[in-house]
Amino acid sequence: MLKARGDRGCCDRCAGATGAADAARIARRRLLKDAVFRPQAVHGGPDHPAGHAGFPDAARLPRSVTGTVLDVSPHVLVLGEPGARPGSEQRFTLSSDTATWRGSLLEPTALRIGDRAVVRLHPTRRAVADRIWANIGRVTGTIIEHSSDYMIVDEGATRQRQVVVIPPRAAGRIQVRFPTLQPGYLIDIIGLRGPEGLEGVIPATSQPAYPADRIPEAPLVSGHVPDAISGSATWHEPDGEPPGVLGVAYPALDPETGCVEEAVAGSARGYARMPYLAVGSALLVRNDCNGASCVLPVTGCAPVARQFNDRCVTCGTSPRGRVADLTEASFVALGGELDRGCFNATITIGR
Amino acid sequence: MLLVDMIQTVQIPLLSALLLSGCAAKIMRILRVGSMDAGLGPTALFPMRLRRPVAMAMCALELGLGIGLILTAGQIGRGAPATCVRLGTGLLFLVAACSLLELRAARPDVGCGCFGDFSHAPVNWRTLTRAALLSLAALATIDLAPIEQPHSKGSALALLGLLGAELALIAALSPELGEALVRLGYSEPCELRVMPADRTLTALRRSKQWRRHAGLVTADVPADVWRELCWRYLVFPARYGDREAEIVFAVYLRQRRPQIHTALVDAATGQPLAWAVAPARTPWPIPRPRVLPLSKNL
Repeated sequence: MLKARGDRGCCDRCAGATGAADAARIARRRLLKDAVFRPQAVHGGPDHPAGHAGFPDAARLPRSVTGTVLDVSPHVLVLGEPGARPGSEQRFTLSSDTATWRGSLLEPTALRIGDRAVVRLHPTRRAVADRIWANIGRVTGTIIEHSSDYMIVDEGATRQRQVVVIPPRAAGRIQVRFPTLQPGYLIDIIGLRGPEGLEGVIPATSQPAYPADRIPEAPLVSGHVPDAISGSATWHEPDGEPPGVLGVAYPALDPETGCVEEAVAGSARGYARMPYLAVGSALLVRNDCNGASCVLPVTGCAPVARQFNDRCVTCGTSPRGRVADLTEASFVALGGELDRGCFNATITIGR
Repeated sequence: MLLVDMIQTVQIPLLSALLLSGCAAKIMRILRVGSMDAGLGPTALFPMRLRRPVAMAMCALELGLGIGLILTAGQIGRGAPATCVRLGTGLLFLVAACSLLELRAARPDVGCGCFGDFSHAPVNWRTLTRAALLSLAALATIDLAPIEQPHSKGSALALLGLLGAELALIAALSPELGEALVRLGYSEPCELRVMPADRTLTALRRSKQWRRHAGLVTADVPADVWRELCWRYLVFPARYGDREAEIVFAVYLRQRRPQIHTALVDAATGQPLAWAVAPARTPWPIPRPRVLPLSKNL
């Protein structure tokens, strides 16, 4: 495998990567690609300002804010980071329409100080919280160990193994969608994130019937791969990623990048036959349920997501396979409901 | 031999071949996947714990009936054994047709699984008609006398013709045929093809574009390499006059004579720079000059 000079030979979500390094590399690659194929765009024009990577401005576009609950009242939510300088906290108005999720749909006053919250802002009034998810977590991976009390799930080579506890009140609901809670099988559960692990509450999908190392073959693709590919778009918890980062983990990064995360996949190819891309490639991700779309950079590989051949049924039935594993901020910004786990999506490559 | 007898006669080898090939395709899939739990065809209608025994029973039944049809075709199994096997075959296909109807209503996304991996297409009227016709064909052989060798060349040819016609009919009713033909003539699109980066670099260093710009390159290995769709990008540090620069090569991922585009950019800003004539040098051994395709420098 060819190694680039002085760089790590893995994708940018691997250990040691920093958010700033990711952003710089992503922007640089896009600039260099444009220099080859669209030199006019690099020089600057009305549609292609020089030095701009063409991705959304994190300060303007996203309608999502992540932070720790510092204070909450029936009308105001204060988010910030403990220990941050005074004045850096953000205040959001809570309206009667503000829906709050904390294991289930609750009143905003059910939030606790210290909860980690993801807030989607109102489409037109940016100071108003439209939707709040508190302490939401997700575990997607392969079951390593299962006992009556807990499960241990492998999420990939660069992530710590996760402990999932399924409370009795949620056991029936989860077992309907995940009938085979045995080592070697895939699981995808949404729940409340706690210090001990995840309290599984909602099955994020239906369990694939095959073991993780026996992925069925997808239908063959003849001719050129279409620019637009439809499937399921999911989200993942930030793990080493800067909070609020906009990006997408793509299930088919070029194997030559030597991504450390590839080791978990078992097989080089996942279910969906998707064209190979690299960190920094641009994807137009469209939420087919509400029509919202956004150009997002590929920020990492999704070796676990590509093992699923599930469908998303948020609005209609999507084709099989996961086409994008979005960051929380991207998922929420595109109108996804974190507690639903996915939305029907179409990605367009080469924008 | 009457035409009716001839039609009955060709059903035995045909049904046997279909049953045995269906069983073989299912076993091959199980060996490849390593599990019987994946819902294949009507087994997807059963609860998870029953899928394995149902799949095993299906395979065993197909194997048994396929062999049984051959063994009882002649004088050896005449009478009750032959009738049982043929009746069983007819009932199997009848049950299969009914199951496929149910499957089409309950799980419209699932294929019939009749021929393992080849049967991914959702159940449609062709699959249903095929199962129903095969059921009729099996039931039509119940009172068939032991099969004997054709008495004349003409009757042998007539039998072969009938067999061919029925095979063509079954092929027309089989969505699996299209899948098999696609696999036979399949060539992976370049976007999905794995291509080692070393090979791309070798192709680049043999190219006219490399020879033209090698004088500017200041390092042996690229500073960055990435791939997007059918293109692999290689960025080499370069010196352009007094300026630190970078040369970006975009190489089309093809085994031979890839198309190559290049750009010279400022190392600090990434802004494209105008090319100038650079003294050529050959830092790496270059094989005998080859005819290269026309390519465009930007």
